Amino acid sequence: MLKKIKPKNARSKRALQKREPKIEENVKKAIFIRSSSTNQIVNEALSDLCKLKKPDAINFTKKNNTIHPFDDDTSLNFFYEKNDTSLFVIGSHSKKRPNNLTFIRMFDGQILDMVEVGIENAKPLSEFKTSKCAIGIKPLFLFVGDLFENSLVYKTFKNMLLDFYHGQTVKNINLSGLEHVISVTAIDSSEQSNDPRAMPGIIYFRVYTIQYKKSGEKTPRVELEEMGPSYNFRIRRFKFANDDVYKFSTKVPKINKPKKIKNIDVNEMGDKIGRIHLGKQDLSKLQTRKMKGLKRTTDDYTEDDLEEMEDVVPSIKKQKSS
Amino acid sequence: MDFSDQLETQKSKYKSITVERPIPLQYDLALLAAFDTNALDESRLKNDTDNYLKEYTRDGTQLLINQIFKLPITTSDLGKLAELPEQITVIPREKPLPKLKPPTRWEKFAKAKGIQHRNKNKMIYDEATGEWVPRWGYKGTNGDGANDWLIPVPQNDDPFEDQFSKRREAKKERIAKNEARHRRNIEESEAALNQTKGADARSLRKGELQRQIAISKSATASIGKFDKTLKGELKLKGVKRKFEPSIGDVKKEKELNLNILKKVVGKKGDIVNVRKAIAKRGQ
Repeated sequence: MLKKIKPKNARSKRALQKREPKIEENVKKAIFIRSSSTNQIVNEALSDLCKLKKPDAINFTKKNNTIHPFDDDTSLNFFYEKNDTSLFVIGSHSKKRPNNLTFIRMFDGQILDMVEVGIENAKPLSEFKTSKCAIGIKPLFLFVGDLFENSLVYKTFKNMLLDFYHGQTVKNINLSGLEHVISVTAIDSSEQSNDPRAMPGIIYFRVYTIQYKKSGEKTPRVELEEMGPSYNFRIRRFKFANDDVYKFSTKVPKINKPKKIKNIDVNEMGDKIGRIHLGKQDLSKLQTRKMKGLKRTTDDYTEDDLEEMEDVVPSIKKQKSS
Repeated sequence: MDFSDQLETQKSKYKSITVERPIPLQYDLALLAAFDTNALDESRLKNDTDNYLKEYTRDGTQLLINQIFKLPITTSDLGKLAELPEQITVIPREKPLPKLKPPTRWEKFAKAKGIQHRNKNKMIYDEATGEWVPRWGYKGTNGDGANDWLIPVPQNDDPFEDQFSKRREAKKERIAKNEARHRRNIEESEAALNQTKGADARSLRKGELQRQIAISKSATASIGKFDKTLKGELKLKGVKRKFEPSIGDVKKEKELNLNILKKVVGKKGDIVNVRKAIAKRGQ
């Protein structure tokens, strides 16, 4: 733990205030770290993944000997407190686990989820001689494959990728600012991998820039061009948060919860259906079919009714009584 | 005139934007994400990976873009803005929710009385000089007549008293009083945040003061052993060891031992705090 700093001037006070817990949080920042031994594939992957995450990313270009996230999280805690970053990608390369990337996210300074993947068929960003997207633009995501729905590990990895790259939460999006798409395809391939430590299944990570063509309609026709980087991932080790911590981390502030609107639903067809309460119907005043036989005779009137009517037709009461 | 034929021919000039998928995609438009659970063509994926992925992604992206363009759109100076719906996917937070700051005494009072905050202008008109000056601060009037060159002595007041120093003193007192209130608010808010521990502001402060006294007492070269004691000063007590009687309640003894066992073995998760242990070893 770092010593808690007490701000000595207004500037540092403001800087610390930015780090305090907020209802509407800052964009999560990420650090890309090299472990004790890395190779070119891992180094390039780290810097390319960092470029995709810019401007909310820091690339650590020196190697770090003490980083072993599955055994010890002290150094990650230290980086979290120093840089106020809750996302990490750690790259390493060893005989046991070649071309290794570990995706980590933290909650409140503690590790929440970790997923380790091995890289295959890596193509760095520089290999694609195409136009790139601008920095700090929200990407589109496309997750293909039922593994992302059915397998807990893949589901969490999907959630982590969304967490890493979705950028700032916004209410409106500029339609001309949709420049690139991150496509992640997972398949439970029958093909045996030569990596004994990997889970079955393969993940294709691709990034494309989008070009808009005329379609004769309001919505344009989309064409893609690969922008890079491109990887095939195989999931190795993973570690997830326990339910209590996860539940605590996904708590929604009361203010942000939308108020429940009563009696208004939208059905499957997209029609809005409202229910109105009309109160209890008074059936005694119901007007049924008029028939001569059902007409009220003077015998049906009560004494009170007759008294009221007497003002108008004075003979009624007399007739009845006689 | 019927334009539909012309429209059709116009459309047919371009490539279509419709994509057929057996299982409809799911969207989380707040994250600009689409989730496709359709089965892939495995043999093509194996042999012609990159082209197949690009084609498949194009179709998926087209579907996603179609959805985004269907959203309510407003035009602004920046361009066309699509209004995004509520987010469906749950993404964990980075930090826990902030604790609500307890209201100060003034805030409580203002709420009870229905007093609303209203903004005052920063500049006020100084009638003496005929200029606009800041209400307070540098070159301000400060509203207390500190710049007055003459103060009439109030009636029934001591004529030899210095009215200027009287004002200065009064101001100092006001500042000190305000600071004391500020401190009290801080203490009370801290106590309110610690209320789960069952402490009020006074006892919290008392405990803290006692701890500070204890620390300052032992902060001499002789750990306070030869210090002069004040009259009526209580002797500081250390931790006294307590021993249970060697023969006594069997039930109680059993419970105690079981508790120890539970602490060592029965705990969920890690028994040893690895981080702390490593740090200890390193010392």
